[in-house]
Amino acid sequence: MTLASKYKTDYVQSLDQHSQTNLNSSWVNDKGAWLTNVILIFFLKLVFDIIPGISPELSWTLTTLVYNIGSYIMFHAVTGVPFEFTQGAYDGITLWEQIDGGVQFTATRKYLTAVPVVLFLLSTHYTHYAPFAFSVNLTATVINLIAKLPSMHQVRLFDINQKPSTD
Amino acid sequence: MDNPVLQAINQTFLTVSRGVQAVPGSDIVIGYIKNSYQNDPFRVVLELGLAIYAIKYMLSKKYRIDPSHIKLTEKEIDELVDEWQPEPLVKPLTDRERMELESAQVILGSQGPKPKMLSTGKTLLNLASSNFLGYNDNEHIKSKLVEVLHNYGVGTCGPPGFYGTLDVHMQLEKDIARFLGTESAIIYAQAFATISSVVAAFSKRGDIIVADEGCNFAIQKGTQISRSIIKWYKHNDMEDLERVLESIQKETSNKKRPLTRRFIITEGLFYNYGDFAPLKRIMELKHKYKYRLVLDESASVGLVSKNGRGLTEKYGVAAKEIDMIVGSMAHSFSAAGGFCAGAKEVIDHQRLSGQAFVFSAAIPAMLTVCASEAINILEDESMGGTKLLKDLHDNATAFRNVIVTAPQSIEMNSEEGSPILHLRFPSQVVKNSGITTRDDEEYLLQEIVDEVATKDGLLITRAKYVESQELFLPRPSIRISICASHTRKEVEKAAQSIKTAFSKVIAKRK
Repeated sequence: MTLASKYKTDYVQSLDQHSQTNLNSSWVNDKGAWLTNVILIFFLKLVFDIIPGISPELSWTLTTLVYNIGSYIMFHAVTGVPFEFTQGAYDGITLWEQIDGGVQFTATRKYLTAVPVVLFLLSTHYTHYAPFAFSVNLTATVINLIAKLPSMHQVRLFDINQKPSTD
Repeated sequence: MDNPVLQAINQTFLTVSRGVQAVPGSDIVIGYIKNSYQNDPFRVVLELGLAIYAIKYMLSKKYRIDPSHIKLTEKEIDELVDEWQPEPLVKPLTDRERMELESAQVILGSQGPKPKMLSTGKTLLNLASSNFLGYNDNEHIKSKLVEVLHNYGVGTCGPPGFYGTLDVHMQLEKDIARFLGTESAIIYAQAFATISSVVAAFSKRGDIIVADEGCNFAIQKGTQISRSIIKWYKHNDMEDLERVLESIQKETSNKKRPLTRRFIITEGLFYNYGDFAPLKRIMELKHKYKYRLVLDESASVGLVSKNGRGLTEKYGVAAKEIDMIVGSMAHSFSAAGGFCAGAKEVIDHQRLSGQAFVFSAAIPAMLTVCASEAINILEDESMGGTKLLKDLHDNATAFRNVIVTAPQSIEMNSEEGSPILHLRFPSQVVKNSGITTRDDEEYLLQEIVDEVATKDGLLITRAKYVESQELFLPRPSIRISICASHTRKEVEKAAQSIKTAFSKVIAKRK
């Protein structure tokens, strides 16, 4: 593939992406979605608290773990748009990369980065720094944060979400 | 406590700690930090690090990641602005464009097999329009349409899914499905938009399309708009098609590509060449490599084979085996719009995903009934459909038989049984007479068109293309559209005149 034709395909893709509002990612900007995020964390914590036999330490660790895994799957593992309307303009692009059309450090991105950090700080605090719980919490949070880094935008490590070549 | 410096530091510290305590919630933070120490400074450092990262992230400025973005300095911008030369709103005509405009014939009155010209007032024998079966001045259809006009009015004023559907639309869909022998059919309001809409409804980014290089402009645009991976095979070259399919298969199994949809797209009767796709071999390859077949019958439906059912009838292939048969009702049916016939699921998918179906106003009732009647005539023995087709084929054969006697001046690759015939200068002749550019060849063909119009009373036309956008531009040609309404004698005479004009123009050039 020549450079010119490659540039052309990218140009067409970006044209397709900007031709319509991306309904798959635009809802993330809603304040209701922000609130739901917090409510979900509370709900998770509540569920783990009321299951008998789960200590407060374990409950906090599970909450962090489940939140981080859940948000990783949602924002960084699933690609594309489930209900297609732009001929696959977002194929191979994660939800995180779709947010705000790929602009970095927008309010939503800041919010979604802050939540796991705060959750981690709370969680380690309440687990009283038990080494095992601490390391689980830290690993989950750090992986989630690395995936959100601007320098990781459209970077594919270890063949995760690797797009098939187009020629 | 007499050192003033120490005193000042102490004072500041006290004020700051009082200030911090005054902030609501500061107790919690202080308690948190005290608690989190737990004899391990590493953790505090780590947590602080995280907190600082979060704060730094919060304070960062927005920016867009765009590798193609070039930052220009003020000076560079000024330079670019100074360099810019505005183009005229309307460019002066080129010689070729002027020729195209001046050579255009205007028809006075209604279109038909023998229309009257505005420029000369003479009637010419029409071998240029796609009124193949002479439906344009068919009295039965005309009277039927006047009736429809009184019942339904003119437009539908809405897309099919939005109050635009009439009973005649549903009837036409049934008629087409019955005529072709498929399960179901859908009609589109515009012929050109049909194929591009059908292709784009099924084939998306990452899917694979294998298409014939001879495909018409609408198909080319359809594949482009679908954003799929497109591979072209040489026109009607089955070995090349197999090579392409084989290479895709190899590549797919090597790279462990996810399974995507795959389509072979070809025209039944090629409008730009007048030859047929070898359907039987394509079906074999389609089954072997597991592809879906989109067959564009725009130029062949209602025209090819004994009953006009197109390529499936000609080659004895069951229409149900072809995934999508797309066609135009603007050619042989003398109506407008297009259709897609296939399995029920395939058709129903388009009712929500076929862009031209969803977003275009439905085809007017008159044109719908016109297409229905055209099909009825072809189907019904008593209405003379088979006779019309026989006349058409006999006329085409008569024309061919005259033209093939002059292979030294006319090259014709169009096949027997095709009502569309492309006449070209043989490439050797072009070379010998010193024609180098495409424009020159077009001028020469136009000379023939003008000559037969003035001397022999024939209305013919060059095949015209959007040359800058065609992917595989066919060689310049004169496209003859045979009409069933003409007599054998008229057609033979016309062929003779064209043959003479070809040799004459070449001789003049030499």
